[in-house]
Amino acid sequence: MEKTINRRDFIKTTTATTAGVATLATGITLTTFVNANENPVTNEKRWGMLIDTNRLTETDIDGMVGACQKEHGWGSDKLSTGDQKASWIKKLKVKDTATGRISNLALMCQHCEEPPCVDVCPTNASMKREDGIVLVDKHLCIGCRYCMMACPYEARSFVHEELTDQKEHMPRGKGTVESCTMCVHKVDKGEQPACVASVNSDAVIFGDLYDSSSKINQTLKKVQSTQIRADLNLNTAVRYSGI
Amino acid sequence: MNRWIILFFSLIMTGAFAHGQKTHSLGDEAHSIKDSGKTYHESISVIRKMHPEFLNHKRDKTLREGVRTEEYSLKGCVTCHATKKDNSNDYHPVNSEGQFCSTCHKKVATSVDCFSCHRTTPAQGAK
Repeated sequence: MEKTINRRDFIKTTTATTAGVATLATGITLTTFVNANENPVTNEKRWGMLIDTNRLTETDIDGMVGACQKEHGWGSDKLSTGDQKASWIKKLKVKDTATGRISNLALMCQHCEEPPCVDVCPTNASMKREDGIVLVDKHLCIGCRYCMMACPYEARSFVHEELTDQKEHMPRGKGTVESCTMCVHKVDKGEQPACVASVNSDAVIFGDLYDSSSKINQTLKKVQSTQIRADLNLNTAVRYSGI
Repeated sequence: MNRWIILFFSLIMTGAFAHGQKTHSLGDEAHSIKDSGKTYHESISVIRKMHPEFLNHKRDKTLREGVRTEEYSLKGCVTCHATKKDNSNDYHPVNSEGQFCSTCHKKVATSVDCFSCHRTTPAQGAK
């Protein structure tokens, strides 16, 4: 039997097939979005933090430091002394000399959009991920400490001694520079950084700065906030209100 | 005649010792996978030859791009290839004498640099 196909049937079949393929394609796209960890991070997001110094108590800050130490395993280095000690996040007291008002800050890597540490690194070890998190690639770090000198926030530390029993998710070793990773291993799983999770109130908010529905984005639109050393035009991802 | 017997026995003993050491250093979980007849790596010869490349590629993907899949993750290597100490819940560091990494690396005199930073045993609570 000779098979003939008229114009109407042809259009019907083609439309059905196209619709089928489209449905399938949508399904695939959805799946890839669900398994975000299989795909490289993109610059559609920029992770940031807003710290409200009016609401953040000294106990909160100590809690944040403790949570960071516990999460990443720093702070118990036996042989390092004084300035050699690791300090990924620190408590800072700032005083307004005119009024005498004292504020307490938690200061860590500010995850700049234009990070000076990345500019000066001779081996490309100091790097910024597409989603704005600034990291040290210890595989490439030669321990020259240029980045430590370049950082206006003194956020980086150098490991002076041999270490064992590191955390599984946080390799640390002698001769490399390290700093706050914004708990990148947790963020990639959709969790909050350890220091943010340790604060019970809304004094520290973490989220995507670009997402207009995120809490951090909406709060930043409403409240007065500032970057530390905003004059350097680094566009930091960690912002402060109340100072 | 005696000489031949001694030679024969020493060969048998060497074989047995080498075999014993090999299975011992394979690691607890890798051993149980092997015993169950399953394979984890597609080809042993490929993983033996190519594991530095796989790990280097994976490290860049993970650190720089945030791709955190299990395939070729160093954490995965350590989890499977670590051996528990006798009568203890603690593990031998995977790079220590006679353990999985050091057995070959010592033989070919290539130092392993991974473990100056990376953890050498599975984390507490890991399977």
